[in-house]
Amino acid sequence: MTIGHHAMIDQWYPVALASQLPPEGRTTQLMGTAIRVLPGDPVRVVTGDGRDLRVTLRYGHVWTSLGEPSKDLFDIPEADQPGRRLVEVGVVRVRCSPLRAVENFLDIAHFPFVHTDILGAEPHTEVGKYDVEIREKEDEVWATKVQFYQPQAAKSATGGITTDYMYRVPAPTSTVLYKTCPARPGEWDVITLFVQPLTEELCDVWPWMALFDDETALTDLIHFQQMIFLQDRSILENQIPRLLPLDPGREIPTRADLTSVAYRRWLKRHQFTYGAQLVAQ
Amino acid sequence: MPVVTLRDWIPVALSADLPAATVIPAHTPSGILALWRSANGELATLADRCPHRGMRLSYGFVRGEALSCIYHGWSYGQNGQCRRIPAHPDLTPPAAIKAASYPTEERNGVIWIALGEPKAPPPALEGFKPLRSITLEVDAKLISATGDVRTRLAGVDVLLLIVGISGSETVAHLMVDAAATESDCVTVSRAAEGWRRECEQLGVKELAS
Repeated sequence: MTIGHHAMIDQWYPVALASQLPPEGRTTQLMGTAIRVLPGDPVRVVTGDGRDLRVTLRYGHVWTSLGEPSKDLFDIPEADQPGRRLVEVGVVRVRCSPLRAVENFLDIAHFPFVHTDILGAEPHTEVGKYDVEIREKEDEVWATKVQFYQPQAAKSATGGITTDYMYRVPAPTSTVLYKTCPARPGEWDVITLFVQPLTEELCDVWPWMALFDDETALTDLIHFQQMIFLQDRSILENQIPRLLPLDPGREIPTRADLTSVAYRRWLKRHQFTYGAQLVAQ
Repeated sequence: MPVVTLRDWIPVALSADLPAATVIPAHTPSGILALWRSANGELATLADRCPHRGMRLSYGFVRGEALSCIYHGWSYGQNGQCRRIPAHPDLTPPAAIKAASYPTEERNGVIWIALGEPKAPPPALEGFKPLRSITLEVDAKLISATGDVRTRLAGVDVLLLIVGISGSETVAHLMVDAAATESDCVTVSRAAEGWRRECEQLGVKELAS
């Protein structure tokens, strides 16, 4: 195992929904290591060879790490804001690199083509200028002032609107999206993608949301998000190579891809290379 | 047994299976390529990978004279040059954004792709007409050493163009005697199913007539 893999081993990863742990536990894997998530108080995560891993419960999920995380799990302050509905979407298995799953989530230019007539529609394809930075203090990737026209931005939206977004990458396989809240102007709906790396080319994706929406039935909210992600999956399972290329030249970005460029640069800087392709490899 | 061609050109599809404004994955021994026909009927073959994010172009869509990637709608001309990036409608895409393109010819109802630069056109296969393509779960080497099988199925002369697309999968493009009637073609098509099953079950079937 390379040094890069060690860098990612010390991160937190989602491995189950805390509310839906079966009595016998969830047998799964994390970065190629077989683990079992066992219900109880406290919830335990154990490896095949009997090692107890560190566990934290947050945002509806059980989080664990194969290594020794130097930091607590990243904070999403909105999760504790009164009045929000916390939506556990469930899990979608995708045959792709966990890093590709995150990168796709950071991308808006595909909306008119992959989420046609829902998150985007031709001829509204232009991606305007937005701001991207790696926030040094938090050590997070942020994209702000992102705007895009959407025919149906959320389950609670009835017509087309220009939607504002902010994107945040607080951990190599977790990302948080803040978007215009149709029900409560001035607030942001929070939609996250927590990715569990099963292997470098296979992942379980756990979307989770904290919304201001008291109207829409829970199943409709879940179905909407699952539909969106299943559309993404048809892309993610057909990208070549499966691993995310971190070296320049293998893929060609444009200005619309600045979030992806910053994400790749940040991954490379930290040697977060589990699921990445490097020329040197 | 006459050898029709030894493979400057790879038969990848029958013309009838690629209507105008359509893209399909073309299986070759070297992997999949994106084979498409423009609205005006022009054929082209591009590497099956969008240079932007690596998405397979064979999942894309054809509009007018361009093939577009399904991921972000980047569109490519017959020569593989990127023509348009929808996220930046006013931008002229740099010349460097280009997908590799391959010579593509259509002759007597068969579409051929060349991975190199062949000096001669693909074979005319005179006396035959295309019937259908068949996928077999068997190593092509067990079916034919040369890439072609000339035999009789249901009493009709046929020519099978054999392309190994992996160690365990083969595509056969079935040509029948040009004089075969419609009812002959139905019978041959059924017999070809039997031939496929025998190839798959036995691994190899002696087909020399």
